Amino acid sequence: MLVTWKYRPRNTFIQSLDPRTRLIFLGCVIFALTIPEIWDYRIIIPLFIISLTLLVMSRIEWKDIKRPLLFIFILVFFIVGLNGMLSGRGGPSSVLDPNSPVIFTVPLKIPGTDWGWSVPVTISKLWFSITQIFRMLTMALLAIPIPYTMDPNIYGTAFKRMGASDKVSFTMDLALRFLPTFVRDFNITLDAQRARGYEIEKLKGGIAEKIRRLAPFIIPVVMQSTVTGEEVIDAMDLRAFGTGPRTWLKSDLKYAFRDYFIISIGIIIFIGCCALKWGFGIGGFFIPDFFTNYFLG
Amino acid sequence: MNTKTSWEFGTRQVVFGAIGAALYGALSYVTNSLFPLPAAGNVTFRPAVAVLIFFGVAYGPWVGLLAGFIGNTLGDALSGWGFYWNWSLGNGLMGMIPGLVMLAITNYKAQADIIKAVLWGLGGAAVGMLVASLTEMFVGGIDLKTALVGYFTPSFIGNAVVIVILLPILMIAFAAVASSRGR
Repeated sequence: MLVTWKYRPRNTFIQSLDPRTRLIFLGCVIFALTIPEIWDYRIIIPLFIISLTLLVMSRIEWKDIKRPLLFIFILVFFIVGLNGMLSGRGGPSSVLDPNSPVIFTVPLKIPGTDWGWSVPVTISKLWFSITQIFRMLTMALLAIPIPYTMDPNIYGTAFKRMGASDKVSFTMDLALRFLPTFVRDFNITLDAQRARGYEIEKLKGGIAEKIRRLAPFIIPVVMQSTVTGEEVIDAMDLRAFGTGPRTWLKSDLKYAFRDYFIISIGIIIFIGCCALKWGFGIGGFFIPDFFTNYFLG
Repeated sequence: MNTKTSWEFGTRQVVFGAIGAALYGALSYVTNSLFPLPAAGNVTFRPAVAVLIFFGVAYGPWVGLLAGFIGNTLGDALSGWGFYWNWSLGNGLMGMIPGLVMLAITNYKAQADIIKAVLWGLGGAAVGMLVASLTEMFVGGIDLKTALVGYFTPSFIGNAVVIVILLPILMIAFAAVASSRGR
């Protein structure tokens, strides 16, 4: 049985847009930040505000969205943010500027011993960490509402109408449909193994043993998915997938004025970021004076 | 289970490419959020990589390529990393290269075939992560030493450990499923 995202129709501006418009806009923002490598807060903060506004406009109920938001916040703040602050990795090499003033050091020692080292947190690393958090949130907040506000029946059609081949469109469609199903299956398997006394969070032994003991959690879902796959293939072959008229295309999509408007904004964002970075040298990583002065007085 | 040629792209490849991509994304999401494995230095262990290699070995290069590329793209987009085409390409290659050995695997329980699959899986991980790391020199402006020491080595070691441990288990389990299905 396929589980879908918690999609439901809502009378909102976001859902009145053509699904292609939303995918193109998402792509434009992601490409704008990642292809020219934008790390400038003067560009990232306005884009973050646009993403946040679109998330609010999508009017997704809090009970539906709180779990993915919580996951994103934990990932962004505690994993990526802390990692950026301590290591400075994941961004441009200028973050690791050895001349950047040290704000404080974090002692990382093996408990009960004097073994370990002190990790300096510099102004550069701290500012990079803050920038990285907003940069990731900008992209995540645009992507999160899509499964909740886009009809799952339209995924394949949207990719097809954007110019992808039948097979690639249907692969994307199926992948997006199977994703929540497999997340559910993994959670069910985890609960079933816990009921048998398997404490997956308290795995003992070395790293090899820990990975090996994940097998009872992974194997059932992967093997069941191969069986499901055979059934889906049978169903598709019975409907002569790939040989005749595209019966899986659900509706004929049409752009309206609002779609052209949003796509134009997306293209302007992308071209603008590329032009700023490559044409004017604006958009790279730098530490604003107010941030440096805050720590150095 | 095998098709006539490794490079056939029909209904089977569409379905298993999609399932592989969804499994890769779902397993990455679940393992990252519920019980992240400890890492040493920059080395991270992603159990989902074994599933990707398995899909390449079992269903061919197209399935491995689609599962790696789409799975990595979906996972990155949904979790806010954005789109890093070179890492998605690297993940695609990591799934595609083991797929080239598909026709040579006849018995998923046989030791020789398992070793063959693991070696091709390690080759896929090496090539995929090397391509992603080296292209990072042009995308991220890093130098060769950082690409090899800071990016390639930890990502390859982490993936290799997962492949060596989990891929044989997946193959033996799959042998039982395949024989019961008669395909």
